[in-house]
Amino acid sequence: MDDRLKETLSAMLDDQADELSVRRVLSHSEQQEVRSQWQRWHQLRGLLQDGQSALERIDISQQVRQSLSGAEPVLAPSSPDLEPRSPTNWHWPAIAMVLTGLVIGFGMGTGWEVRQDREAVLASEIVPVQAEIAQAPTAGAVPEVALQGLDEQQLEHLSRYLLEHAQHNSVGAGRGAVGYARLASVSTAAY
Amino acid sequence: MKERLHRSEVWLRMVVLGWLVLLAPGLLAAAEPGSEAEAWLARLGPSLNMTTYRGVFVYTRGDQVSSMRVAHRYRDGVVEERLVQQDGEGGEIVRKGMRVVCVLPRHGRIQLEQVMPAGPFAEAFANQLVTTSNWYQPELLGEGRVAGYGAKVIALRAVDRHRYSYHFWLELQTGLLVKSHVRDSDGHVLESFQFTDLEITDSLPDSEFEVQTTGAEMSQKLSSPSKSVTVNRMHGWTLGWQPDGFQPAAAPRSGNGQAIAFSDGLAAFSVFVEPVGELDMPTGVSRIGATTAYMRKLQAGDRMFLVTVIGEIPPETAMRVANSVDIEDAMAFRSQTQ
Repeated sequence: MDDRLKETLSAMLDDQADELSVRRVLSHSEQQEVRSQWQRWHQLRGLLQDGQSALERIDISQQVRQSLSGAEPVLAPSSPDLEPRSPTNWHWPAIAMVLTGLVIGFGMGTGWEVRQDREAVLASEIVPVQAEIAQAPTAGAVPEVALQGLDEQQLEHLSRYLLEHAQHNSVGAGRGAVGYARLASVSTAAY
Repeated sequence: MKERLHRSEVWLRMVVLGWLVLLAPGLLAAAEPGSEAEAWLARLGPSLNMTTYRGVFVYTRGDQVSSMRVAHRYRDGVVEERLVQQDGEGGEIVRKGMRVVCVLPRHGRIQLEQVMPAGPFAEAFANQLVTTSNWYQPELLGEGRVAGYGAKVIALRAVDRHRYSYHFWLELQTGLLVKSHVRDSDGHVLESFQFTDLEITDSLPDSEFEVQTTGAEMSQKLSSPSKSVTVNRMHGWTLGWQPDGFQPAAAPRSGNGQAIAFSDGLAAFSVFVEPVGELDMPTGVSRIGATTAYMRKLQAGDRMFLVTVIGEIPPETAMRVANSVDIEDAMAFRSQTQ
Protein backbone atom coordinates (compact mmCIF):
# COMPACT_ATOMS: atom_id res chain seq x y z
CA MET A 1 0.00 0.00 0.00
CA ASP A 2 1.48 3.31 -1.00
CA ASP A 3 1.89 6.27 1.29
CA ARG A 4 -0.72 8.33 -0.46
CA LEU A 5 -3.35 5.71 0.12
CA LYS A 6 -2.35 5.51 3.76
CA GLU A 7 -2.68 9.26 4.03
CA THR A 8 -6.13 9.05 2.58
CA LEU A 9 -7.13 6.33 5.01
CA SER A 10 -5.78 8.42 7.81
CA ALA A 11 -7.80 11.36 6.61
CA MET A 12 -10.88 9.17 6.45
CA LEU A 13 -10.33 8.21 10.06
CA ASP A 14 -10.40 11.87 10.95
CA ASP A 15 -13.39 12.62 8.77
CA GLN A 16 -11.14 14.83 6.68
CA ALA A 17 -11.10 12.91 3.42
CA ASP A 18 -12.81 14.39 0.43
CA GLU A 19 -14.94 12.55 -2.04
CA LEU A 20 -12.22 12.00 -4.57
CA SER A 21 -9.95 10.43 -2.01
CA VAL A 22 -12.73 8.14 -0.95
CA ARG A 23 -13.31 7.16 -4.53
CA ARG A 24 -9.65 6.31 -4.91
CA VAL A 25 -9.70 4.13 -1.85
CA LEU A 26 -12.80 2.34 -3.01
CA SER A 27 -11.36 1.71 -6.42
CA HIS A 28 -8.05 0.43 -5.10
CA SER A 29 -7.27 -3.01 -6.42
CA GLU A 30 -6.26 -4.47 -3.05
CA GLN A 31 -9.49 -4.05 -1.16
CA GLN A 32 -8.65 -6.68 1.41
CA GLU A 33 -5.41 -4.93 2.25
CA VAL A 34 -7.18 -1.61 2.52
CA ARG A 35 -9.83 -3.12 4.76
CA SER A 36 -7.22 -4.71 7.01
CA GLN A 37 -5.33 -1.45 7.35
CA TRP A 38 -8.54 0.36 8.12
CA GLN A 39 -9.48 -2.08 10.82
CA ARG A 40 -6.01 -2.04 12.39
CA TRP A 41 -5.99 1.71 12.64
CA HIS A 42 -9.45 1.72 14.06
CA GLN A 43 -8.43 -0.76 16.71
CA LEU A 44 -5.47 1.41 17.60
CA ARG A 45 -7.57 4.49 17.79
CA GLY A 46 -10.16 2.67 19.83
CA LEU A 47 -7.52 1.60 22.33
CA LEU A 48 -6.08 5.07 22.55
CA GLN A 49 -9.47 6.59 23.05
CA ASP A 50 -12.08 4.74 24.99
CA GLY A 51 -12.30 1.05 24.45
CA GLN A 52 -13.17 -0.67 21.23
CA SER A 53 -14.75 1.13 18.37
CA ALA A 54 -17.81 -0.36 16.86
CA LEU A 55 -16.72 0.80 13.45
CA GLU A 56 -13.71 -1.40 13.16
CA ARG A 57 -15.64 -4.40 11.90
CA ILE A 58 -18.00 -2.53 9.73
CA ASP A 59 -17.62 -2.56 6.00
CA ILE A 60 -19.57 0.32 4.60
CA SER A 61 -17.53 0.60 1.44
CA GLN A 62 -20.39 -0.74 -0.64
CA GLN A 63 -22.83 1.85 0.61
CA VAL A 64 -20.36 4.65 0.11
CA ARG A 65 -19.56 3.44 -3.34
CA GLN A 66 -23.23 3.42 -4.21
CA SER A 67 -23.76 6.83 -2.70
CA LEU A 68 -20.93 8.26 -4.71
CA SER A 69 -22.31 6.79 -7.89
CA GLY A 70 -25.73 8.24 -7.16
CA ALA A 71 -27.49 4.91 -6.63
CA GLU A 72 -29.62 4.09 -3.65
CA PRO A 73 -27.64 2.19 -1.06
CA VAL A 74 -28.74 -1.39 -0.88
CA LEU A 75 -28.14 -3.07 2.43
CA ALA A 76 -27.82 -6.77 2.68
CA PRO A 77 -29.84 -7.64 5.79
CA SER A 78 -28.25 -11.00 6.18
CA SER A 79 -24.76 -9.59 6.35
CA PRO A 80 -23.87 -8.33 9.81
CA ASP A 81 -20.87 -6.52 8.37
CA LEU A 82 -23.13 -4.23 6.45
CA GLU A 83 -25.13 -3.13 9.44
CA PRO A 84 -23.33 -0.45 11.36
CA ARG A 85 -24.15 -0.59 15.03
CA SER A 86 -23.79 3.08 15.61
CA PRO A 87 -24.50 4.83 12.35
CA THR A 88 -25.17 8.11 14.07
CA ASN A 89 -21.51 8.37 14.95
CA TRP A 90 -20.49 8.20 11.38
CA HIS A 91 -20.24 11.49 9.54
CA TRP A 92 -19.04 10.69 6.15
CA PRO A 93 -18.05 13.95 4.49
CA ALA A 94 -18.24 12.60 1.02
CA ILE A 95 -21.86 11.55 1.40
CA ALA A 96 -22.75 14.96 2.66
CA MET A 97 -20.98 16.53 -0.25
CA VAL A 98 -22.71 14.25 -2.67
CA LEU A 99 -26.08 15.13 -1.25
CA THR A 100 -25.19 18.80 -1.21
CA GLY A 101 -24.04 18.55 -4.77
CA LEU A 102 -27.24 16.89 -5.82
CA VAL A 103 -29.32 19.58 -4.14
CA ILE A 104 -27.32 22.50 -5.37
CA GLY A 105 -26.65 21.14 -8.79
CA PHE A 106 -23.74 22.78 -10.44
CA GLY A 107 -21.43 24.54 -8.12
CA MET A 108 -20.83 27.93 -9.55
CA GLY A 109 -23.09 30.78 -10.36
CA THR A 110 -21.70 30.85 -13.83
CA GLY A 111 -23.24 27.50 -14.56
CA TRP A 112 -20.01 25.66 -14.89
CA GLU A 113 -20.14 22.04 -14.10
CA VAL A 114 -17.04 21.02 -12.27
CA ARG A 115 -15.64 17.57 -12.55
CA GLN A 116 -12.45 15.68 -12.46
CA ASP A 117 -11.23 13.34 -15.08
CA ARG A 118 -13.25 10.27 -15.80
CA GLU A 119 -10.20 8.14 -15.84
CA ALA A 120 -9.40 9.27 -12.36
CA VAL A 121 -12.67 8.52 -10.73
CA LEU A 122 -14.38 6.12 -13.08
CA ALA A 123 -17.49 8.15 -12.73
CA SER A 124 -19.69 9.67 -15.36
CA GLU A 125 -20.99 12.62 -13.41
CA ILE A 126 -19.04 14.51 -10.83
CA VAL A 127 -20.44 16.75 -8.20
CA PRO A 128 -18.56 19.74 -6.85
CA VAL A 129 -16.13 18.91 -4.13
CA GLN A 130 -14.26 21.23 -1.89
CA ALA A 131 -10.63 20.78 -2.68
CA GLU A 132 -7.80 23.16 -3.11
CA ILE A 133 -4.95 20.91 -4.07
CA ALA A 134 -3.26 22.05 -7.24
CA GLN A 135 -1.26 19.22 -8.66
CA ALA A 136 0.04 19.24 -12.18
CA PRO A 137 -0.75 16.08 -14.04
CA THR A 138 2.05 14.03 -15.41
CA ALA A 139 2.06 11.57 -18.23
CA GLY A 140 0.11 8.50 -17.28
CA ALA A 141 -1.20 10.03 -14.08
CA VAL A 142 -4.44 11.81 -13.62
CA PRO A 143 -5.24 14.95 -11.71
CA GLU A 144 -6.93 14.25 -8.43
CA VAL A 145 -8.52 17.59 -7.98
CA ALA A 146 -12.06 18.65 -8.52
CA LEU A 147 -12.71 22.32 -8.60
CA GLN A 148 -15.24 23.86 -6.34
CA GLY A 149 -15.16 27.37 -7.59
CA LEU A 150 -12.92 30.10 -8.80
CA ASP A 151 -12.32 33.40 -7.15
CA GLU A 152 -12.93 36.58 -9.07
CA GLN A 153 -9.43 36.81 -10.43
CA GLN A 154 -9.38 33.19 -11.55
CA LEU A 155 -12.81 33.52 -13.08
CA GLU A 156 -11.78 36.59 -14.99
CA HIS A 157 -8.72 34.80 -16.28
CA LEU A 158 -10.69 31.80 -17.46
CA SER A 159 -13.38 34.04 -18.90
CA ARG A 160 -10.81 35.80 -21.01
CA TYR A 161 -9.75 32.49 -22.46
CA LEU A 162 -13.35 31.48 -23.04
CA LEU A 163 -14.06 34.73 -24.77
CA GLU A 164 -11.04 34.40 -26.99
CA HIS A 165 -11.92 30.84 -27.85
CA ALA A 166 -15.52 31.78 -28.55
CA GLN A 167 -14.32 34.55 -30.79
CA HIS A 168 -12.11 32.16 -32.67
CA ASN A 169 -14.80 29.55 -32.76
CA SER A 170 -17.22 31.91 -34.37
CA VAL A 171 -14.69 32.52 -37.09
CA GLY A 172 -13.14 29.17 -37.73
CA ALA A 173 -15.79 26.63 -36.95
CA GLY A 174 -18.86 28.43 -35.75
CA ARG A 175 -22.17 28.29 -37.43
CA GLY A 176 -23.12 31.90 -37.75
CA ALA A 177 -25.36 32.83 -34.89
CA VAL A 178 -24.28 29.78 -32.90
CA GLY A 179 -20.79 31.17 -32.69
CA TYR A 180 -22.07 34.49 -31.50
CA ALA A 181 -24.39 32.81 -29.03
CA ARG A 182 -21.43 31.04 -27.50
CA LEU A 183 -19.55 34.27 -27.28
CA ALA A 184 -22.40 36.19 -25.75
CA SER A 185 -23.09 33.32 -23.39
CA VAL A 186 -19.56 33.54 -22.07
CA SER A 187 -19.83 37.28 -21.65
CA THR A 188 -23.12 37.06 -19.86
CA ALA A 189 -22.03 34.23 -17.62
CA ALA A 190 -18.72 35.66 -16.67
CA TYR A 191 -19.87 39.09 -15.81
CA MET B 1 -38.62 -12.57 -88.43
CA LYS B 2 -35.38 -13.22 -86.62
CA GLU B 3 -34.03 -9.89 -87.75
CA ARG B 4 -37.17 -8.11 -86.44
CA LEU B 5 -36.78 -9.93 -83.12
CA HIS B 6 -33.18 -8.96 -82.96
CA ARG B 7 -34.06 -5.32 -83.58
CA SER B 8 -36.67 -5.34 -80.86
CA GLU B 9 -34.16 -6.81 -78.43
CA VAL B 10 -31.71 -4.08 -79.28
CA TRP B 11 -34.38 -1.44 -78.74
CA LEU B 12 -35.38 -2.99 -75.45
CA ARG B 13 -31.81 -3.01 -74.29
CA MET B 14 -31.34 0.62 -75.31
CA VAL B 15 -34.49 1.66 -73.47
CA VAL B 16 -33.40 -0.16 -70.35
CA LEU B 17 -29.93 1.31 -70.65
CA GLY B 18 -31.41 4.77 -71.10
CA TRP B 19 -33.52 4.42 -67.99
CA LEU B 20 -30.53 3.24 -66.05
CA VAL B 21 -28.57 6.29 -67.16
CA LEU B 22 -31.43 8.57 -66.20
CA LEU B 23 -31.99 6.90 -62.87
CA ALA B 24 -28.33 6.43 -61.99
CA PRO B 25 -27.92 9.56 -59.86
CA GLY B 26 -30.98 8.69 -57.87
CA LEU B 27 -29.92 5.09 -57.47
CA LEU B 28 -26.47 6.14 -56.36
CA ALA B 29 -27.96 8.54 -53.87
CA ALA B 30 -30.15 5.80 -52.53
CA ALA B 31 -27.17 3.50 -52.31
CA GLU B 32 -25.23 6.14 -50.40
CA PRO B 33 -27.53 7.67 -47.83
CA GLY B 34 -24.77 9.95 -46.65
CA SER B 35 -24.35 11.62 -50.01
CA GLU B 36 -27.65 13.48 -49.79
CA ALA B 37 -26.72 14.55 -46.29
CA GLU B 38 -23.40 15.83 -47.62
CA ALA B 39 -25.20 17.76 -50.35
CA TRP B 40 -27.30 19.44 -47.67
CA LEU B 41 -24.26 20.19 -45.57
CA ALA B 42 -22.62 21.87 -48.55
CA ARG B 43 -25.46 24.40 -48.46
CA LEU B 44 -24.90 25.18 -44.81
CA GLY B 45 -22.08 27.67 -45.20
CA PRO B 46 -23.41 29.76 -48.10
CA SER B 47 -26.92 29.83 -46.67
CA LEU B 48 -25.66 31.44 -43.47
CA ASN B 49 -24.66 34.53 -45.41
CA MET B 50 -26.90 34.57 -48.44
CA THR B 51 -30.27 34.12 -46.78
CA THR B 52 -32.31 37.08 -45.61
CA TYR B 53 -34.21 36.40 -42.42
CA ARG B 54 -35.17 37.67 -39.00
CA GLY B 55 -36.22 35.91 -35.86
CA VAL B 56 -35.43 34.89 -32.32
CA PHE B 57 -33.29 31.95 -31.36
CA VAL B 58 -32.66 30.21 -28.07
CA TYR B 59 -29.25 28.96 -27.15
CA THR B 60 -28.71 26.44 -24.37
CA ARG B 61 -25.42 25.24 -22.96
CA GLY B 62 -25.30 23.37 -19.70
CA ASP B 63 -27.85 25.01 -17.47
CA GLN B 64 -27.61 28.36 -19.22
CA VAL B 65 -30.36 29.47 -21.53
CA SER B 66 -30.16 32.68 -23.51
CA SER B 67 -32.14 34.13 -26.36
CA MET B 68 -31.29 36.58 -29.10
CA ARG B 69 -33.13 38.47 -31.75
CA VAL B 70 -31.41 38.43 -35.10
CA ALA B 71 -31.97 40.16 -38.41
CA HIS B 72 -29.85 39.16 -41.37
CA ARG B 73 -29.90 40.61 -44.86
CA TYR B 74 -27.97 39.80 -47.98
CA ARG B 75 -28.24 42.55 -50.57
CA ASP B 76 -25.96 43.52 -53.42
CA GLY B 77 -23.32 41.16 -52.14
CA VAL B 78 -23.20 42.80 -48.72
CA VAL B 79 -24.14 41.05 -45.51
CA GLU B 80 -25.87 43.07 -42.85
CA GLU B 81 -26.72 41.62 -39.51
CA ARG B 82 -27.99 42.77 -36.16
CA LEU B 83 -28.14 40.65 -33.04
CA VAL B 84 -29.78 41.81 -29.84
CA GLN B 85 -29.44 39.94 -26.59
CA GLN B 86 -32.82 39.37 -25.05
CA ASP B 87 -31.56 38.50 -21.58
CA GLY B 88 -29.59 40.19 -18.85
CA GLU B 89 -28.05 43.50 -19.68
CA GLY B 90 -29.02 43.33 -23.30
CA GLY B 91 -26.60 44.76 -25.78
CA GLU B 92 -26.34 44.37 -29.49
CA ILE B 93 -23.94 43.83 -32.32
CA VAL B 94 -24.57 45.29 -35.74
CA ARG B 95 -22.56 44.38 -38.76
CA LYS B 96 -22.55 45.89 -42.19
CA GLY B 97 -20.07 44.23 -44.49
CA MET B 98 -16.75 44.38 -42.72
CA ARG B 99 -17.83 47.02 -40.26
CA VAL B 100 -19.05 45.92 -36.85
CA VAL B 101 -20.59 48.03 -34.12
CA CYS B 102 -20.88 46.51 -30.67
CA VAL B 103 -22.93 48.16 -27.96
CA LEU B 104 -22.95 46.81 -24.46
CA PRO B 105 -24.82 49.04 -22.01
CA ARG B 106 -23.28 49.80 -18.66
CA HIS B 107 -20.79 46.95 -18.49
CA GLY B 108 -17.39 47.95 -19.65
CA ARG B 109 -15.76 44.81 -18.41
CA ILE B 110 -16.31 42.77 -21.50
CA GLN B 111 -13.13 43.07 -23.46
CA LEU B 112 -14.35 44.56 -26.64
CA GLU B 113 -11.01 44.71 -28.29
CA GLN B 114 -10.90 40.94 -28.10
CA VAL B 115 -14.35 40.51 -29.44
CA MET B 116 -13.97 42.84 -32.29
CA PRO B 117 -10.88 42.01 -34.35
CA ALA B 118 -12.13 38.81 -35.84
CA GLY B 119 -15.75 39.38 -35.06
CA PRO B 120 -18.44 36.81 -34.75
CA PHE B 121 -19.44 36.87 -38.38
CA ALA B 122 -16.21 36.76 -40.29
CA GLU B 123 -16.26 35.57 -43.83
CA ALA B 124 -13.91 32.70 -43.20
CA PHE B 125 -16.49 30.21 -42.14
CA ALA B 126 -19.31 31.33 -44.37
CA ASN B 127 -17.26 30.71 -47.46
CA GLN B 128 -15.88 27.36 -46.47
CA LEU B 129 -17.61 24.08 -46.97
CA VAL B 130 -17.87 21.74 -44.09
CA THR B 131 -15.01 19.37 -44.75
CA THR B 132 -15.96 16.75 -42.28
CA SER B 133 -16.35 13.54 -44.21
CA ASN B 134 -13.30 11.88 -42.71
CA TRP B 135 -14.21 12.56 -39.10
CA TYR B 136 -17.98 12.57 -39.10
CA GLN B 137 -20.36 10.11 -40.66
CA PRO B 138 -23.20 12.06 -42.26
CA GLU B 139 -26.67 10.64 -42.22
CA LEU B 140 -29.99 11.99 -43.34
CA LEU B 141 -32.39 11.34 -40.50
CA GLY B 142 -35.51 12.69 -42.16
CA GLU B 143 -37.52 15.85 -41.96
CA GLY B 144 -38.68 17.96 -39.08
CA ARG B 145 -40.25 21.32 -38.43
CA VAL B 146 -38.65 24.25 -36.67
CA ALA B 147 -40.22 27.67 -36.06
CA GLY B 148 -42.85 26.94 -38.66
CA TYR B 149 -40.43 25.85 -41.37
CA GLY B 150 -39.83 22.37 -42.69
CA ALA B 151 -36.29 21.20 -42.22
CA LYS B 152 -34.01 18.35 -43.20
CA VAL B 153 -32.46 16.67 -40.20
CA ILE B 154 -28.83 15.71 -40.71
CA ALA B 155 -26.74 13.74 -38.26
CA LEU B 156 -22.99 13.97 -38.21
CA ARG B 157 -21.70 11.15 -36.09
CA ALA B 158 -18.15 11.40 -34.84
CA VAL B 159 -16.03 8.51 -36.03
CA ASP B 160 -13.90 8.53 -32.88
CA ARG B 161 -14.20 9.56 -29.25
CA HIS B 162 -12.07 12.67 -29.64
CA ARG B 163 -15.00 14.81 -30.77
CA TYR B 164 -18.71 15.24 -30.31
CA SER B 165 -21.50 14.43 -32.74
CA TYR B 166 -23.97 16.88 -34.23
CA HIS B 167 -27.53 17.09 -35.42
CA PHE B 168 -28.44 19.86 -37.82
CA TRP B 169 -31.84 21.03 -38.96
CA LEU B 170 -31.57 22.82 -42.32
CA GLU B 171 -34.52 24.71 -43.72
CA LEU B 172 -35.86 22.97 -46.82
CA GLN B 173 -35.79 25.86 -49.29
CA THR B 174 -32.71 27.81 -48.27
CA GLY B 175 -30.58 25.35 -46.30
CA LEU B 176 -30.47 27.82 -43.41
CA LEU B 177 -29.45 26.29 -40.10
CA VAL B 178 -32.52 26.60 -37.92
CA LYS B 179 -31.63 24.20 -35.14
CA SER B 180 -28.58 22.28 -33.98
CA HIS B 181 -27.53 19.86 -31.28
CA VAL B 182 -24.12 18.93 -30.01
CA ARG B 183 -24.23 15.45 -28.54
CA ASP B 184 -21.85 13.27 -26.63
CA SER B 185 -21.16 9.63 -27.41
CA ASP B 186 -24.11 8.57 -25.28
CA GLY B 187 -26.48 10.76 -27.25
CA HIS B 188 -26.93 13.36 -24.52
CA VAL B 189 -27.54 16.85 -25.87
CA LEU B 190 -24.82 19.11 -24.50
CA GLU B 191 -25.62 22.26 -26.41
CA SER B 192 -28.57 23.33 -28.49
CA PHE B 193 -29.47 26.20 -30.73
CA GLN B 194 -32.92 26.72 -32.13
CA PHE B 195 -34.99 29.39 -33.75
CA THR B 196 -38.28 29.84 -31.94
CA ASP B 197 -39.47 32.57 -34.27
CA LEU B 198 -38.28 32.88 -37.84
CA GLU B 199 -39.24 34.72 -40.98
CA ILE B 200 -37.28 34.00 -44.13
CA THR B 201 -37.96 36.77 -46.57
CA ASP B 202 -36.62 38.51 -49.64
CA SER B 203 -35.88 41.85 -48.06
CA LEU B 204 -35.75 43.66 -44.75
CA PRO B 205 -35.97 47.42 -44.20
CA ASP B 206 -32.88 49.44 -43.29
CA SER B 207 -34.40 50.22 -39.91
CA GLU B 208 -33.83 46.62 -38.86
CA PHE B 209 -30.09 47.19 -38.94
CA GLU B 210 -29.74 50.40 -36.99
CA VAL B 211 -28.12 50.44 -33.57
CA GLN B 212 -30.83 51.17 -31.05
CA THR B 213 -29.24 50.47 -27.70
CA THR B 214 -27.55 53.36 -25.96
CA GLY B 215 -24.27 52.81 -24.20
CA ALA B 216 -20.57 52.63 -24.74
CA GLU B 217 -20.03 52.01 -28.40
CA MET B 218 -17.05 50.61 -30.14
CA SER B 219 -16.59 49.81 -33.76
CA GLN B 220 -13.86 48.17 -35.69
CA LYS B 221 -13.37 46.61 -39.06
CA LEU B 222 -13.25 42.87 -39.23
CA SER B 223 -9.76 41.58 -39.71
CA SER B 224 -9.00 39.88 -42.96
CA PRO B 225 -9.59 36.14 -42.76
CA SER B 226 -6.45 35.48 -44.79
CA LYS B 227 -4.41 37.06 -42.03
CA SER B 228 -6.15 35.55 -39.06
CA VAL B 229 -6.55 32.00 -40.30
CA THR B 230 -2.88 31.36 -40.76
CA VAL B 231 -1.74 32.91 -37.51
CA ASN B 232 -0.03 30.25 -35.48
CA ARG B 233 1.61 31.54 -32.36
CA MET B 234 3.52 28.69 -30.82
CA HIS B 235 6.97 29.97 -29.95
CA GLY B 236 8.90 28.25 -27.23
CA TRP B 237 6.46 25.39 -26.77
CA THR B 238 5.24 22.39 -28.69
CA LEU B 239 2.05 20.43 -28.90
CA GLY B 240 2.77 16.72 -28.91
CA TRP B 241 -0.68 15.49 -29.78
CA GLN B 242 -3.90 16.62 -31.34
CA PRO B 243 -6.83 14.54 -32.57
CA ASP B 244 -6.69 13.54 -36.22
CA GLY B 245 -8.39 15.97 -38.52
CA PHE B 246 -7.86 19.10 -36.45
CA GLN B 247 -5.97 21.69 -38.45
CA PRO B 248 -4.54 25.02 -37.30
CA ALA B 249 -7.20 27.68 -37.57
CA ALA B 250 -7.65 31.31 -36.69
CA ALA B 251 -5.67 31.87 -33.51
CA PRO B 252 -7.26 33.64 -30.61
CA ARG B 253 -5.36 36.53 -29.17
CA SER B 254 -4.10 35.70 -25.76
CA GLY B 255 -3.37 38.81 -23.79
CA ASN B 256 -0.19 37.76 -22.05
CA GLY B 257 0.94 34.53 -23.59
CA GLN B 258 0.63 32.39 -26.64
CA ALA B 259 -2.29 30.61 -28.17
CA ILE B 260 -3.09 28.34 -31.02
CA ALA B 261 -6.38 27.06 -32.28
CA PHE B 262 -7.45 23.99 -34.20
CA SER B 263 -10.59 23.05 -36.01
CA ASP B 264 -11.84 19.97 -37.80
CA GLY B 265 -14.46 21.97 -39.67
CA LEU B 266 -17.08 21.66 -36.98
CA ALA B 267 -15.43 21.48 -33.60
CA ALA B 268 -12.63 23.73 -32.46
CA PHE B 269 -10.31 23.98 -29.54
CA SER B 270 -7.82 26.60 -28.44
CA VAL B 271 -4.61 26.02 -26.53
CA PHE B 272 -3.32 28.81 -24.32
CA VAL B 273 0.14 28.74 -22.79
CA GLU B 274 0.96 31.54 -20.43
CA PRO B 275 3.30 32.27 -17.53
CA VAL B 276 1.24 31.94 -14.37
CA GLY B 277 2.77 34.86 -12.49
CA GLU B 278 0.91 35.61 -9.29
CA LEU B 279 -2.24 33.91 -10.41
CA ASP B 280 -2.86 30.52 -8.86
CA MET B 281 -5.15 28.60 -11.16
CA PRO B 282 -6.37 25.17 -10.14
CA THR B 283 -5.85 22.04 -12.19
CA GLY B 284 -8.75 20.12 -13.64
CA VAL B 285 -11.59 20.01 -16.04
CA SER B 286 -14.65 22.23 -16.13
CA ARG B 287 -17.48 21.95 -18.58
CA ILE B 288 -20.36 24.05 -19.69
CA GLY B 289 -22.53 22.36 -22.22
CA ALA B 290 -20.31 21.18 -25.02
CA THR B 291 -17.44 23.46 -24.06
CA THR B 292 -14.60 21.98 -22.03
CA ALA B 293 -11.87 23.88 -20.24
CA TYR B 294 -8.91 21.92 -18.99
CA MET B 295 -6.20 23.67 -17.02
CA ARG B 296 -2.87 22.39 -15.84
CA LYS B 297 0.32 23.89 -14.56
CA LEU B 298 3.63 23.17 -16.16
CA GLN B 299 7.02 24.04 -14.79
CA ALA B 300 9.83 25.01 -17.12
CA GLY B 301 13.08 25.92 -15.42
CA ASP B 302 12.18 28.16 -12.55
CA ARG B 303 8.97 29.38 -14.12
CA MET B 304 5.48 28.05 -13.85
CA PHE B 305 3.18 28.11 -16.86
CA LEU B 306 -0.52 27.62 -17.16
CA VAL B 307 -1.68 25.42 -20.02
CA THR B 308 -5.35 25.77 -20.83
CA VAL B 309 -7.27 23.91 -23.49
CA ILE B 310 -10.74 25.19 -24.27
CA GLY B 311 -12.99 23.75 -26.91
CA GLU B 312 -16.08 21.91 -27.94
CA ILE B 313 -14.37 18.59 -27.35
CA PRO B 314 -14.72 15.86 -24.73
CA PRO B 315 -12.82 16.38 -21.46
CA GLU B 316 -10.57 13.41 -22.17
CA THR B 317 -9.50 14.96 -25.46
CA ALA B 318 -8.81 18.31 -23.84
CA MET B 319 -6.75 16.69 -21.11
CA ARG B 320 -4.70 14.70 -23.57
CA VAL B 321 -4.00 17.78 -25.65
CA ALA B 322 -3.02 19.80 -22.58
CA ASN B 323 -0.77 17.04 -21.29
CA SER B 324 1.07 16.95 -24.60
CA VAL B 325 2.20 20.56 -24.29
CA ASP B 326 5.89 20.92 -23.64
CA ILE B 327 7.78 24.13 -22.94
CA GLU B 328 10.98 24.19 -24.91
CA ASP B 329 12.10 27.73 -24.36
CA ALA B 330 10.70 29.65 -21.42
CA MET B 331 12.61 32.70 -22.55
CA ALA B 332 10.49 32.92 -25.67
CA PHE B 333 7.61 33.93 -23.42
CA ARG B 334 9.66 36.44 -21.52
CA SER B 335 10.72 38.22 -24.67
CA GLN B 336 7.16 38.37 -25.91
CA THR B 337 5.43 39.35 -22.74
CA GLN B 338 7.84 42.05 -21.70
